[in-house]
This record gives sequence, C-alpha cells and structure tokens, in this order.
Amino acid sequence: MADNQKKAAEPKLHKKHGIKVFDVVNYIVFAIIALIVIIPIWKVVVDSFNAVGVYQFRLWPSDPTFAGYLTIMSTAKLARPFINSVVTTVLGTLVGLIMSTLGGYVLNQYEMPGRSAMSYFLLFTMIFSGGMIPEYLVMKQLHLVDSMWILVVKHGMNVYNLVLMKNFFEGIPGSLYEAAKLDGCSPMQIFYKVVLPLSKAALASVGLMFAVTVWNDYSTVQIYITNPTQVNFQYMLRVMIMDGDTPTTAYKVSQNTLYYASIVCAILPFMVAYPFLQQYFVTGVNVGAVKE
Amino acid sequence: MSKDNNSAAVQVRKKPLKLRIWNNRGFYLMFLPVFFFVLIIYYWPMLGIRYSFYSYKLGKLTWVGLEHFKSMFGQKEFWLAFKNTLVISVVKLLLNTFVAVIISIFLNEMGNMFCKKFIQTIIYLPHFMSYAVVAAIFTLFLSPSSTGFINETLKNWGVIEKSIDFLHNKAMWQPIFQIINLWKETGWGTVIFFATLAGISPDQYEAADIDGATRLQKIWYITLPSLANTIIIVLILNMAKVLNIFEPVFVLYNTRVLEVSDVISTYVYRKTFLTAIPDYGYTTAVGLFKSIVGCVLMLISNEASKKVRGRGII
Amino acid sequence: MKKKLTAVLLCAVMAAGALAGCGGGGASDAGSSASAPSGGTVNEDGSFTLETINIIVDGTVTATVDAGQAEFVAQWEAAVGEKLGHPIKLNITQLDHSDYSGTVSRTLTTGQPGDAGYPDALIMSANMLRQYQTTGLLWNLKDAYDNAEFQSRVTLPNVNLGLRTADGAQYGFAPTYGNGCVTYVKKSWLDAYGKTIDDIKTFDDYYNMLKFFHEGDPDGDGTSGKTYGVIAAGYGKMDETPFINYMPEFWQGAFPSFYQKDGVWVDGFQEQATIDALARLHKAYSEDIIDPDTEEAGTKQAREKFFSNDQTTSEGVFTYWAGTWLRTLTDNMIKNGVEDELVQLPPIQEIKDTWGGYLNREAPVWVITDDQDGNDAREQAIFDALFETMLDGDVVQTLWTYGAEDVHWSTKAESFVLNPGTDQEKAYDYADGEFHLKQSPNDPNSLWKKNHLDSVLVIAPLTNGFVNDDPLIQEGNTFFTENCVDAPAAASCATLSEYEADIVNDRTRLMNLAVTGEITPEEAIAEYQASWGDIAAQIVDELNAAEQ
Repeated sequence: MADNQKKAAEPKLHKKHGIKVFDVVNYIVFAIIALIVIIPIWKVVVDSFNAVGVYQFRLWPSDPTFAGYLTIMSTAKLARPFINSVVTTVLGTLVGLIMSTLGGYVLNQYEMPGRSAMSYFLLFTMIFSGGMIPEYLVMKQLHLVDSMWILVVKHGMNVYNLVLMKNFFEGIPGSLYEAAKLDGCSPMQIFYKVVLPLSKAALASVGLMFAVTVWNDYSTVQIYITNPTQVNFQYMLRVMIMDGDTPTTAYKVSQNTLYYASIVCAILPFMVAYPFLQQYFVTGVNVGAVKE
Repeated sequence: MSKDNNSAAVQVRKKPLKLRIWNNRGFYLMFLPVFFFVLIIYYWPMLGIRYSFYSYKLGKLTWVGLEHFKSMFGQKEFWLAFKNTLVISVVKLLLNTFVAVIISIFLNEMGNMFCKKFIQTIIYLPHFMSYAVVAAIFTLFLSPSSTGFINETLKNWGVIEKSIDFLHNKAMWQPIFQIINLWKETGWGTVIFFATLAGISPDQYEAADIDGATRLQKIWYITLPSLANTIIIVLILNMAKVLNIFEPVFVLYNTRVLEVSDVISTYVYRKTFLTAIPDYGYTTAVGLFKSIVGCVLMLISNEASKKVRGRGII
Repeated sequence: MKKKLTAVLLCAVMAAGALAGCGGGGASDAGSSASAPSGGTVNEDGSFTLETINIIVDGTVTATVDAGQAEFVAQWEAAVGEKLGHPIKLNITQLDHSDYSGTVSRTLTTGQPGDAGYPDALIMSANMLRQYQTTGLLWNLKDAYDNAEFQSRVTLPNVNLGLRTADGAQYGFAPTYGNGCVTYVKKSWLDAYGKTIDDIKTFDDYYNMLKFFHEGDPDGDGTSGKTYGVIAAGYGKMDETPFINYMPEFWQGAFPSFYQKDGVWVDGFQEQATIDALARLHKAYSEDIIDPDTEEAGTKQAREKFFSNDQTTSEGVFTYWAGTWLRTLTDNMIKNGVEDELVQLPPIQEIKDTWGGYLNREAPVWVITDDQDGNDAREQAIFDALFETMLDGDVVQTLWTYGAEDVHWSTKAESFVLNPGTDQEKAYDYADGEFHLKQSPNDPNSLWKKNHLDSVLVIAPLTNGFVNDDPLIQEGNTFFTENCVDAPAAASCATLSEYEADIVNDRTRLMNLAVTGEITPEEAIAEYQASWGDIAAQIVDELNAAEQ
C-alpha cells in the first residue's frame, strides 16, 4: 500500500539534473554498503560448498563439495534439530495466529462490557514480567523444561502481535459486520467467514513475524532445554560452532565446511522466502509502529 | 487503544448490563483461550516474585527478607552490569536509529527504482538471521587464529602485523558489538522511515525546486523535518525496552570482557545457571529489580509518547 | 455450530490445564520431605521394589541416542531385570554438551525426589562431588559399597577409599580410576623439525619444537607462520581437576587451586609456581606458539582442529587423554586423510622433577540422590540395580564397557571393511565366537571403541574374557601407566562450596588476561589476592582444621 504512494512521489523528485556528483557518490556509497552486507553472507555460502577451509574471500568454491549438506542430512544429531525447528516453527506460528486473531478480534468489540479490562489485562504483561527465574520455575511446573514445545508455548502468545492484528482488523469496514450480523451469523461465524478471509495480508504479515521469531530463537533453548533430542537448529549450530561440539559423522568433511553449511541451513528458509514475501514483512513493521 | 467512547458504544449502553453481557457471550468465549494462555504464561510467573525474599538453594526455601536486595546493591558486579546494560542498549538504539535515518534519506534520493529496491532487499537481509547465526559468522571471521578471515585479510593487505583478538579485547568489544548490530539491524530499521518518506507530499519538493534549492538543502529543510516525528517515536518505543537486552550480548560476550559486556540479563543467567550451587532467590531479586526499573521506563515512555503524538504506546 | 464447539473444547482444555498446573504453585516450600519413595513400590515387609531408575549422564556414556543407546537400554533392562527377578526400566538423560555441572545444578535445584525428571543416580566429576557432598542431597553409600558383592573382584580399592570424607562417609562411587593426559606430537612434523621424540627432554627442547612448528613449515605446504605449536581446551582448565593437564609442560609444578603440599593445605593459585607458569604461557602466546583458539576452545573443538583435514592451520602438539584416545585421534586423522601418526612425548624433565610424571586425575564418580525420608531402602535398591550390576564382571559390565551386543560388539562371525576405496582401506574378518568390536553405529568408517567404562581403568575387571586387544590402545595405556603419578586430591569444605564457582570464574578470567598479556602474571595474582585473599585464607584454615 505504501508502494503506490512512493511511485507517485518518486519521479518528480529528480527532475533537476543540477548535481550529478551527488548521484555518483550516492550510488558508489550504496554499492559499498550493499557489498558490506553481502560479502559475509556470500563467503558463508561459498565456504559451505568448499571442501577445505579457505580463509580468503573466494567468489566461487575452489574445491566444490556437497559433503557439508550431506553430513547434515545424514547425521541424526544435525538433522533432528532441523526437523525440530521446522515443527516448532509451523506449530508456533499456527498457535500464535490463532491467539492473536482471536484476541485482536475480541478487542475490537467496542460495545462489549469489560473490553477495556481485557485490554489492560493483556497490556500489563508488556510493562511488567516475573523475570527469568520465576518463568523458568513455571515452565518446569508445566513440564515444558527440556521439551521443544516450550518454543510453541513461549511464542504462541505475543501481546504485541495481538495488538498488531487488532490494528489490521480495524481496517475492515464495520458495515460488513453489520450485514453478517443481520444474516444471523454468530461472532465465531463472522470471525470465520468475514474477518479472516479479508485479512489474508495481515495473517501473512503477523504469521511471518511469529515464524521468524520461533525459527530464530536460540536463547529460550539455551535456558530451558538440555536434552539433545529436543534442541532446535539454532542451538545446535551455536553449540557446534562456539563449543566445538561437532558430532561424529560418517562423512569425511572439514570442520569449516560443516560449520558454514549449517549456517546456510539456519538462514535458508527466510533467505529463500523473503524476497517474495518482503511486502508482508514490511507491512507488519509499519502497521505495528505507525498505526498502533 | 482508547476508542472506548465511540458513538456506537454510547448507544448500546442503554441496554441493561446483563443483556449486553449475554449478547456478547460469543466474544467472551473466544477470548477465553487467550485469557488462560496469558494467565499461565505471563501472570503465573509473577507469583514467583516472592522468591526474591527467600534464599532458594537446591530446592530449599528460607525467608531472608530484604537480604538479597542489600547484597545486590552492595555488589560491584551488579552495578557494572547495570551500567553496561544502559550504555550498550542506549548506544545501540541511538546508533541504529541515526544510521538508519541517514541511509533511508540517501537511498530515497536514488533515482533508479530498480537499484533502490535491490539495495533495500539486500540491506534487509541480515535482519532475518538469528543472533546465534550472526554471532557464529562473526566469531569465525574475527578469530585471531590463522583461520580468521578478517585477521588474515588485514595481514595480507599489510594493515596489521599480528592478529588482533577482536572479541577478547576490552577496549574493542563494545565497538565491535555495535558494528555487528549495525550490520544486522540497520537495514531493517530503515523500513519505518521509508514509509514516512513515501508520505511526504511531492508539492513541497516542487516548491523548493522553484526556489532553486539544492539536493542537500531539500534534504535538510524538507526531508529531515518530516522524519523528526518518526525518529522520536522510534526512540521512545525502544527506550522502554533498553533493559531487556539479552540475546545479542549473550551470543557474543566472554569471560575476558565481562567488565564491558555483562548486562543484567546475562548476569542473572550466569548467577543462576552457570553457578554450581546457585541461590535462585538472589537472581529472582535481580530480575525483580530489572522488571521494576523497566516498568518505570515504560511508563515514562508512555507519557512521552502521549505528549509527542497524542497517544500512549500501550 | 461446529466452530463454537471447537472453541468451547479449546477453552475447557486450557482451563483444565490451568487448574492442574496452578495446584503446584511454583517450587514446593522449605525442605518438604518427599512422601512415598519414587520409582518403585514399598512392599508389605518394608522392603522396596525398584521399578524405574532415572540417571543423568554426560558424554562419557558413548552409546548416545544416535549410537545405539536404545539397544543398550533394552539389553540392560533385560539383563538387570533377570538378575533382580522383576522388571526394571532405565531412563537415561544424557547431557552431552559443555555445561554439564550447570545443568545438573538446575535439575537438582528446581526439582525434588519424586519429580518426573529428578535423577536417582548421576555422574559427577570429582569437583562436583566435593561441592555436593556437603549439601545432604547425596546418599552416603559407604556401607553399600563395603558390602557390595563385587568387592571380592576389586583390584584397585584405593580409588574409592580416597573418596571418603574425614568422617568416613562416601558419597560417590568410582567404577574406574581417573586416567590422565599425555602429550601427542605429529610424527611428520617432528620429522620436518629433524628430531626424534627422544630429543625432546626439557622445557626448552619442547618450546623450541613448538617454535619451529609455528615459524617453520612443518606441514610442508610451502608457507610458514600459519601453523601453531600447540592447542588445548583452555590455557588451563580452572573448573576441572587437575586443572593443568591439558598444558602440563607449561604449568610444570604449578597447581592453581587448593591442594595439600607436604600435608598442609595451600592455595596454589597464589604461589610463585603459578606466576611462573603464567609467564611461560604468556611468552608462548605472544610468540603465536599457542593457537589463540585455545582460549575459547572446548575439548572437541581443539581436537577437531588438531586432526582436521586442513593441516595448514593445525597444530603439531596436543595433550589429551591416554590410551583409547590415542586410537581415536589416530583414527580421526586417518579418516580425514591426514597421513601422519602420533608419537607420545615422555614427561619433560621439569615435570619429572616436580610431579614425577603426567597427572592421573581423580576419577569421576556416580552418586545416588537421597530422598531424605530416613529410610535407605530405595537408595540401596538403586545401588544394587545400577552399581552392583555395573561391575558384575559379566553381562551388564560388558554392556557398560563395550556397549550393546550385536550393535557395538559381537561374537558372531563377520567381516567388514573400513574406509573402502581409499588408501586407508582396512578389512576385518572375525570367526564365530571371536569377541570383537563392530563398526561405530554413527560412523561406519571407524571401529567402535568403548562405552562408559574403560576396560583397562576399571576397578574390578571383566571375568568373561572379552578384551579389546587393539595394540595402539594397549601401547597408549602402558605408556601412561609407566609415566603417571596421582594428582593431588580435590579440596572440600563449606566455604569453598559457597564460593568455588566465583573463584573459578575469576581465576579463569585472570589467567586469560595474564596469558594474553593484558596484565602481568604478578598483577593477576595481586588482583586475585585483593578479591579472594581473605576467603582463600579462610578456606585454607577450614581445610587444615578438618585435617586435625
């Protein structure tokens, strides 16, 4: 939505050709910035296909191999965390979406008695929390310590995203609700038949936020999970690279190749999906910060 | 979130309360899962705050009153962590915002739409990498050993003679931490400014063109002032969260630079989970202190936000 | 209507969950004694039948979930169940990452006997044992140990007698003695240096060798200065006795912790020997002789780099565990295509003059948690089911020593080839009835080596004649036995337990600062004395008082 406005604004900005130097410098500076961002990522990708550790920058693998990736796929200790990551991300996103749409929808019912109490009930959690230790003890009570489902529970409820969803829902014209109500729809039916179908972009946007959070979470695993069968890929990667806890594998693979291949696996899902979904990511930020 | 007194609500209020509640029963039902989820995940832990007043060692609880707070305020380590938290987060916030503003302004000046989109796409990329990954990449790159990409490159170029142990150097740790954060988050930070820039009316620039203003003058007198409000909002929104910093530091710090890198959350983590026989009461107390200060910061930010843009952040 | 129903169901589930959860209300209050003993049933005659047993183990149980743990557990349950005459279930929680002690403390703090995840028995390092034995969480197994059926077969009684406290209690059980580290040198690098292992007699010889490994071109790739002399997991390992064993040549006679010197306890970190050792380490660090990755490296990282397929940034010397590890390191080099072998460096003169040889560390132990109900029936049952069978000399001991039958080892006829199609190809052929180790479940190109117990180090040997007669392992063990002395015993007192973690962290920090030259060794010790001098003095007093 912001794009249309931008296109309208842009062409007029540069009618004056007075200062060419400015443009040249600008392009050069941004080329450098782009390189700074891309070189580390490129090196990681190239080295993940390189059989021996190369410590210089190479544009292309000098000794190409897939051993790193084959090792990850064939070694349970590496493949299992990846699957755990996928499962928790999918479930966490699902639970997150259910909770935030339900909550966001209900909070939009301004004529409902107790609505503001409900929103204060939610918003209080944003300003005060029990802290790391009490949270740990509660999770222990819930038998979520040492279980990967902690990732689903911990990220499944996010008040910020709930408010975001509510903001999205506010954009739905009230007349649609009224029409549905007159047709005799229950609140749940309106939610299901009117609100959700009209909010696909919002669902994509908020869903991606949940997905990124769960997929990228490392510290929750670090704090709560010690059982090696329950950890996610981020944690495994961290332990492998920082603690040097490289698993025994059937493959002959250089330590560095394996490190870099794991890094690629850890960033792959969003790197691949992101260029196509960029608009949804961007919308989420703008609705969250600007409209809130 | 203060739209309670819109006209529809006023009309409905004529009906008796019981009826209104009954009419909304579907909504209450739908809220129940959210209610219980929040109750368990957020409110239940708040009960645990009572441990702040107990000694809690190896499963045994003994009442100690305010002892933990006394010993906490008497600890050099604690104040160091508190100071580091503020310094690291505030510098991070200001630096990221400042650089993001600069980048968005100048990228906005770029005429070629394809180039602009392309660069946007690239600089957003690192945001989607986790801190664990970013730390892994930079730890490998910055290694002082002959496997370290950056040290070896600098040596080849003749910039340095001997490898520098970047991440273990007290003077260098904070700057490097901030640079890594800039690399990861600045691109993404520009998103919100682009939205504002897109909203600036082209008329203003046309008027300036007629007056014969240069590019830089237009940036200074039109673009920058239009961003001022957004900048303030971003600062206020994030100011409230400065004490929460954990993961970015945790993945990059090490014992040798504790003095400049230990923040409250990492302090709590170490004291709780990396100590042989920890006192969970003490670390709960430190956590409570953090929560209270965080709460105050949040309320201040809220007031500030009300002043600046007419509505709070919560 | 269906949707409404779903919503109602969802709510009901949530509510039920909430109520069930809230009943607990965080941690239970002060020292509440656990009601009925867990993991079994009390019989009418007051005896106890153990039905489940939860254990926490570290990476030393090498039959991990990815390497045949399920089969190991199944065979253990079958064998032990038969011995006891009733079925028994074994739950293994394996924490194979670096922070074992922290995780154990988390489990013991937030849980209590009777909880689902609370361990009945677990492995502890000598250090952890000293910390926990004063807390009342562990069961005094002295009587159980003395009356154990395996006593008649024990050949090395001193290991366990050494674990006893001043008042005669014994909280840990060591099934093996400790083992220690010896220094391995890559033979081809030594050849490039133009010397043999017998030429390396003193610290200066050792140091010059390392210097060549860094400054010369020992790997023969044409460049010099990219390789390093030595790597280790830390310059010293301040949190694990005997602290100095990964860098013995540099530490020499220093022992940077509390130890008994001529019958009197002292704080070795404050001694001149430690300052000298730090100075030696600093010199080597500043000349790039020690790989700078040493500071952050874990043991795995260090050894991975040592036998990495990229030898151009590797190291020539690595001090690591004796015996089985000589085989493992060699196998890994072969697997990575490193054409080299390892030679063992006899202790240098300075080590011989001070300690007398490489240090044989205090053994890690198994402990049993005490449920504090004043009744030993449950604890004794755990001892009988777990420890007694672990040294039965037969089926169960074989499980702990070599792993599961037909998974890790076998007596059936079979033949297999390791590293097929490469230069290192090696064929194995066994007749029926011949005991042999199989290919590793998680790496078909290497031979399985052992499970938890090392057959050479165990205090009561196997009686079924199963021996792993790998000549390299035998050679490594003989070499170590000929060149080792027992490490000083770890200290234990109340004040030490309270401050140990902080002291250890600070020692590590100061050691790193001194080695990397940010402060001098003298400054490091001075800072240590300023922060910990009083507490250290108090600890030394307490230790000496207990000795009286």
